[in-house]
Amino acid sequence: MKENVFIVHRSEIIRKGLSLILQEYFKMEIPQLNSAKDLSSFSGISNSTMIIILDAQADLNLQAIDQLKRNNEVYLVGFYTENLEETFNKTFDYQLNHYSSPLQIQKLIQVIRQSGGKNKSAMQDNGELTSREKDVIKLIALGLANKEIADKLFISIHTVISHRKNITEKLGIKSISGLTVYAIMNNLLDIQDINPEELI
Amino acid sequence: MELFRREDKMSSLITRNYNLLPVINRFGIRLGFKEKTIAEVCMEKDIDTDFFLAIVNTYTDESYFPEAEFLSFSPILLIDYLKNTHRYYINYVLPKIERLLNQVIESCPDNCSSLKMINTFYQKYKAELLLHLKLEDEKVFPYILNLYENKTLSPEGSFIEVIENEHTNVEVKLSDLENLIIRHLSPNYGDNAMNEFLTALLQFENDLNDHARIEDHILITQVIEFEKELKK
Repeated sequence: MKENVFIVHRSEIIRKGLSLILQEYFKMEIPQLNSAKDLSSFSGISNSTMIIILDAQADLNLQAIDQLKRNNEVYLVGFYTENLEETFNKTFDYQLNHYSSPLQIQKLIQVIRQSGGKNKSAMQDNGELTSREKDVIKLIALGLANKEIADKLFISIHTVISHRKNITEKLGIKSISGLTVYAIMNNLLDIQDINPEELI
Repeated sequence: MELFRREDKMSSLITRNYNLLPVINRFGIRLGFKEKTIAEVCMEKDIDTDFFLAIVNTYTDESYFPEAEFLSFSPILLIDYLKNTHRYYINYVLPKIERLLNQVIESCPDNCSSLKMINTFYQKYKAELLLHLKLEDEKVFPYILNLYENKTLSPEGSFIEVIENEHTNVEVKLSDLENLIIRHLSPNYGDNAMNEFLTALLQFENDLNDHARIEDHILITQVIEFEKELKK
């Protein structure tokens, strides 16, 4: 799948800085936009993985983003210039702040790429789960709700739901108890961790 | 596949689709037909031939579903048939599947913990299915029979909406069970034992799907219409 990265921020210093760091990993031109509404001029793109790094404290133009979501796999990364923990916004799939180290940024990109090109990876590894999907299935088996899974993994509920959808598609298993059996059979979970009476 | 007609030989029904064997038994029909036609056997056994044909054709051709025709049959006829089917599941199919699963477990040489998980999952599925059948036998069917007999709406409200949801839940578990075995379980068992178990399971699934189709699309549709009329 094609990859597109956008940086949307009011501050030119941040735009240029982020772009410099990210170019090392993506090896491509990264469009830098002043405001999210400028995203609408990219609505012609389809079938791509889109990573959009957004100024978390500015007005989000969700309309432009929703339009992109229709034809692409869109990952929103909130960029904060304040303390993370307190300002975590559920709109974003991931988050960064101005103190994020290049290593953190690199890791984030890896995670996005793993959950991203899933069409590609499903073919490559015969429907093997990604490590993120394994994290999710473990928590499902432990009986956590979507919201709790989102909080635990620092991702949005939207992302949890999309992981669940992918897991079910790959494994052909829908029920929670079926997923639990899968997790135990594949040593993602120990049988001692669950109450077989309750969950299965 | 071509549909069965009243003048077809009863024996050809079985040679063309042997999955119908338990279905004809549910009507009280047994083998040894000689040259009798479907209509003749039905008359002997006092079975509504059109109803019999509608059922066997539904089981034979997935696209065949004579809704208008079905809807003209008495729900009492349907319930009688559905109850017989439940008995067949409870007294014969489920014990058989369980026996075959135990044989699979016995055929596992070592480290059978995954198979035991499958067994636990099956037990969970079975419990849920039995609960569902019990709900229909003890609550839903009597409710419907009572509705048609007294022609008044019960103050407790309708049970009808409940079953359709229930069906999907039970179906999901069965399909999960199959996928766990076919796709994810490492083959630590005797192949013949597993093949027998899986064949029985898949056959049961087909039977259940047709059964649910008759309940959801015919019986429930009929009752909902009838309830609406009573409300007028």
